[in-house]
Parts: sequence; structure tokens; C-alpha cells
Amino acid sequence: MSSHALPTAAAPRLRLDWPKLARRARLKRVTGRSALLAFLLIVSLPILLPYFWMVVISFTARSGGVSTQVLWTACAVIAPAVLIYSVVHIATPSRGLRLATALSLLVIAAVLLAGLVGRQLHLANYRFLWNPNIVEELRSKATAGGQFPSVWIAFRNSLALAISQTAIILVVASLAGYYISRFAFRGREAFLQGMLVLHAFPAMTLIIPIFLILHWIGLLDTIAGVMLVLATIELPFYVFVMKGFFDAVPWDIEMSAMTDGATRRQAFRMVVLPQVRVGLIAVGVFAFIRAWEEYIFVRTMLIENTNWVMSLYLFWVSDDIMGVDYGIVAAVSVFYVLPSLLLYVFCQRYLTQMTIGGIRG
Amino acid sequence: MARIELKNVRKQWTGATAVERIDLAIDDGAFIAVLGPSGCGKTTTLLMLAGIYSPSAGEIAFDGARVNDVEARDRNVGIVFQSYALYPNMSVLDNIMFPLRFKKIERAEGEARAREIAALVRIDALLDRRPSQLSGGQQQRVALARALVKRPHLLLLDEPLSNLDASLRLTMRTEIRRIQRELGVTTILVTHDQIEATTMADRIVVMNGGRIEQEGTAKDLYERPETLFVASFVGSPPINLLDGHVAGGEIKVREATLKVSGSAAGPIVLGIRPESLLVNASGMPAKIVAAEPMGREVLYSAEGALGLVRFIEPGAEARHREGQNISLAFHPEATLLFDKASGRRLDARIAS
Repeated sequence: MSSHALPTAAAPRLRLDWPKLARRARLKRVTGRSALLAFLLIVSLPILLPYFWMVVISFTARSGGVSTQVLWTACAVIAPAVLIYSVVHIATPSRGLRLATALSLLVIAAVLLAGLVGRQLHLANYRFLWNPNIVEELRSKATAGGQFPSVWIAFRNSLALAISQTAIILVVASLAGYYISRFAFRGREAFLQGMLVLHAFPAMTLIIPIFLILHWIGLLDTIAGVMLVLATIELPFYVFVMKGFFDAVPWDIEMSAMTDGATRRQAFRMVVLPQVRVGLIAVGVFAFIRAWEEYIFVRTMLIENTNWVMSLYLFWVSDDIMGVDYGIVAAVSVFYVLPSLLLYVFCQRYLTQMTIGGIRG
Repeated sequence: MARIELKNVRKQWTGATAVERIDLAIDDGAFIAVLGPSGCGKTTTLLMLAGIYSPSAGEIAFDGARVNDVEARDRNVGIVFQSYALYPNMSVLDNIMFPLRFKKIERAEGEARAREIAALVRIDALLDRRPSQLSGGQQQRVALARALVKRPHLLLLDEPLSNLDASLRLTMRTEIRRIQRELGVTTILVTHDQIEATTMADRIVVMNGGRIEQEGTAKDLYERPETLFVASFVGSPPINLLDGHVAGGEIKVREATLKVSGSAAGPIVLGIRPESLLVNASGMPAKIVAAEPMGREVLYSAEGALGLVRFIEPGAEARHREGQNISLAFHPEATLLFDKASGRRLDARIAS
């Protein structure tokens, strides 16, 4: 009978070893974060190392072969610094201590690098910025047909292409996105689906017809022609993105503006557009970078060397002097990558919000 | 300020009718509430008055002049949305001054007017803030100030209190009423909350299924509901509605047989408000099913000769236990009889 009774001494078994559990949780947290950090460091290595190498080559390489000595020396300094900082970061939650570690490591690394490789740094590879005749100088004759153009002509062309494309896309995508988001019209569904299909369609397959069309209308080998082609191909995606942003703006705000005396256009400009500012910035940055990095279409449709854009300039430089002078190729690459990198750094706060959309109240 | 009229107004969307038919006249300076469940067409009516939607048929008139084709921006209507719809990119002051941008008003004068109205709704200390830095109640006041600054002919309030917590709701109810009286602006409040409607408005319009069910004061609606819908929608806790059958001057409800005075025949619905039922030895037997103390009174459910009914008794504590047998009586003059088929109230009641 008594065996069926509940054990009266059950209470003490509930007493738990709280300090031990806390220790275990702390340990789990630290190992988890260490593993994550190690993983991220390892997977970022194949991405970061080539860029780093490119920068190193551009500042150190001299005519002739390429040496990896500076790269490995620099890595030998930077890798331990990163590891030490990671350990400190995991070990302490104190912001002050982390900052102090980061700063002192930076100073030590800078001093070490200056001492070890400082004397090998030089700017000679960047001479293409003021001397357009690098190729002739190196090989006595360029394959790109006569005189190599100044890099600034290519830079100007790239800038013109990227800025005009950004402007076209911003204007068209915001107006079209707004219209699709707000108005019911016949064929709206079909239009939306059509845009998705257009985006899924590989634009490369159109390259021959586009080439011929541009030839017939006389826009072949002009920046304006490439700009129109790129904008057309890119637009469906950006219209879609902007529609998403406009969908997130409540109707009430617009109705309110209209009862307050605004016309539909004024309501759009004064009330709705400021709500999608993040979307406009994101679309603008992506459109710019996309045009800046464009290669295939410009390679096909721009011929004269005065119409080269940066990607073509880089291509011809590497085509002509690869194997002779890696330093200049690397320096041109750094110069090419810089504008989009700067843009990305300044706007990344907005870009990360692109998929989320929406407005803050 | 204006006298507002809606004549046979109808709004149809492709495939659905939002408003069947609205006939309504609102006196200059009046405060009326449009009360109804969600989807009854009250917000559509409001947006037609504002000029956002145009009616499919009928006429809307301000001071006797047809305004159907007048654009929203020219109607001079102030509207407070449920979401407040403040412009997040502007400061509170700019929000309030926004409507004045479209009128030929000097900036200095506009700002003076905005500050004056801000003082009236008591947000004069918040003018430099952004809407996102304000609490719900403050946002509500900004929205009200923005609607009022243009000195509207008509002020429309679309569920203005439903996003506020209970105590703020009480304060804002009184505040909106005070401001409306002070300015004398014709006001229409749209709400699904009967307390809001009865406490704030002079007259209440009950809407259901795109039609007006009844229009009157809170007392009219409560004591003399014209339809079953109004009887069931107005009053909390809700009225007891009991199916019955009238034949030969007698009404049969479940096991009870009662005398009827007035003309009634066939299937009917008997309505008894919870406060009209009382525990009295002369009544009919019933058994308490549930006792729910609500603070000032106790709500009981009882199963008896009339079927399942709810009644309330004053007091904080329950005096009857669940399962207890009691005897329930009611005041015959407080009963309502409705025709079951049409849902309309009959000119008859239970005889004592």
C-alpha cells in the first residue's frame, strides 16, 4: 500500500546547483562565439586576401615578375593582431577594454609594417594617372590600336554612364513603382508578371539583336546607347523594388494630404516620396554600381578608345601588359574599385534596409 | 461650419456594394456619431464626405450646395484617421501647418494659427518634435490640431480613439468633446464603440450592411430600438433576445406563457435588458449558471423557464452562487417585442 504513496522526500531533489549551471551557460556562450568568429574569419579569407594582395601589389611591385614577400610579411603582422583582438573581444564585454586593445594593436601593427615593408612601398605604379603612354613606354607599341587614351577619359565615360543610368532608373522606377502600387488598371497583374519574367530572362541572349538595333539607329559606339540598353534591362527589377517600398506607405497618409489641400502630385512629392527615401538611396546605389562594373555590353557596343569606360580600360591595360608589369594592372584595379567601394561604405546603412522596406513611424 | 446632407447616397465597387443607401442631414455645429460593426460602410461614407471616394449615386451637399464633384482638396474638410496619418518626415509644427501651405496664408500668420490651435489641443510644448517621438495620445492631438487648423466646414473622426489605452481614451473623449464645443465645428465621429458614440455625440446613427438602421439620441436607441440589430448592438451587457410565438393575445417563450398587449401575431423575438430582470419571489424559476463580478455590478447567467438569460445586480460581490435556484421577474414596461421575420419593433409589449 505504502509503495503507491508519493515520495515525501521529493522536494530536496529539486534543489539545483545554480553556480554550476551558470558556469556551464557561460562556457557554452564563449565556445559558441569563438566558433562563430573562427568560421567567419576563415570564410572571409578567400574574399579578403585577393583584394589585399591587389592593393599590396599596386604599391610594391616593380617591373618584371611578381614577388609575394611583402604580402606574407604583412599577413604575418596582421593575422596575429586580428587573432589577439578576437580573443580579447570574446573574453571581455567591456567596450573600453576592447577599444584600447584595438587601438594599441593598430599602432603596433602600423609600426611593425612601416619598419618591415615601409621602404618597399612606392607610387610608381600609379603613374598611369598622369601619364597616358604607359603601354607604349613598356612595350614600345600598344595592341589596342595606336595611342592609349588617358585614364581620365575612361573615368569620365564611366561616371557619365553610371550617373545617367542612376538618374533614369530613379525617376522611372519611382514613378512606375508608385503607379503599380497605388492604381488598379487593366492588365496590372499581367504587367507585374511580365516584369518578373523580363528580369528572369538572361539579357545576354539579346546581345546580337541589341547590337544590330543600336547600329541601325546610329547609337552604336556611343555612351548614350549603352546607357539606354543598360537602363532598360535593369529597370524591371528596380520597379519591383520600388513598388515594394510604396506598398509599405499607408494610404491614410496620402488621403490625409489630399484632404489637407494637396493635389495627388503634391501628396506624392511632399508626403509619399520622403517615406521611401531609403528605397531611393538603395536603388540609386545599386544602379550606380551596376553601371560602373558593367563589362559585357560595353565591351560589345563601345569600340573607339575615346569611348572606353573603366572596365574596358582595365581590360586593355591587362591585355597589353599582363606578364610585363603586374603593378600597373593592380594599380588600375584599385583605382577602378575605389568609387564603388566608397559609395558602398557611405550608403551601406540604407542598403541593408532594402529587403525590409517599410517606413518608420 | 456647415450643414451637411446626404441624399440617397450609394457607393458600389466592382462586385460589392459598400453603401446601399444613406439619407442623413446634419445640422450646423452638431456632433453626430456613426455607429456600426466593421464592414457596415461607415468609413466609406466618411471618405465620400471627405471627397476621397465619389458616390456611385445620390447627392452630398454642404450648406445646400451639391459637392459630389468637388475635389477632396477643395472641400475644406478636416479628417483624423485611426492611424493618425501624421507625416513622419515633418516636425509637429510642420504637420499642423501642412494644410495651410496650400492656402494663401503668410507663413507668420500660419504659424500663429498653428500655435493657437496647438495650445487648444495642449501640445504647444511638443512643436519641434517628430511624430515618432510622441506617445499615442500626443499623436492623436497633433492629428486633431492638423485637422482643425484649416478651420474646416466639417470635422471627420475615423475611430480616433481605438489606438489609445483605456485611461487615455477616457481623457481624449472629454477633450475632443470640449474642443468641438469650443469651436462649434460640425463633427462626424465614426466608431464601432457604443460608449464612444453615446458619450461624445449629440445624436447617433446606427449603420448596418450599408444602411442606416436608426438615428436618434442615445436614450432613443437604448429604450426604443427600431430594429433587432439596434437592440442587440446597443447596450452592454447585451440585451436578452428570446424567440417566441404570439397567438390569441398570448406569447409563448420556451415554457413560459405571457400576456401581450398591443397588436402582434406569429413568430416574434422578446427583448429584455439585463437590468430589467430581477430576483423576486413572484417570478419564474431559474438556476444560476454563472456569476461574473464586474466591479460595480455582478453579471449572472441563468437557465430557466425563459431559456438562458443574463441579468445584472448592483454590488461588488456575487449574492447568488452557481447552481443556486432563484426566481426571476421582470418589469413588463421595459420589454420589447420584435417581428422575427422583418426584425422591426412591434407596437406591443408584455402586459402586467
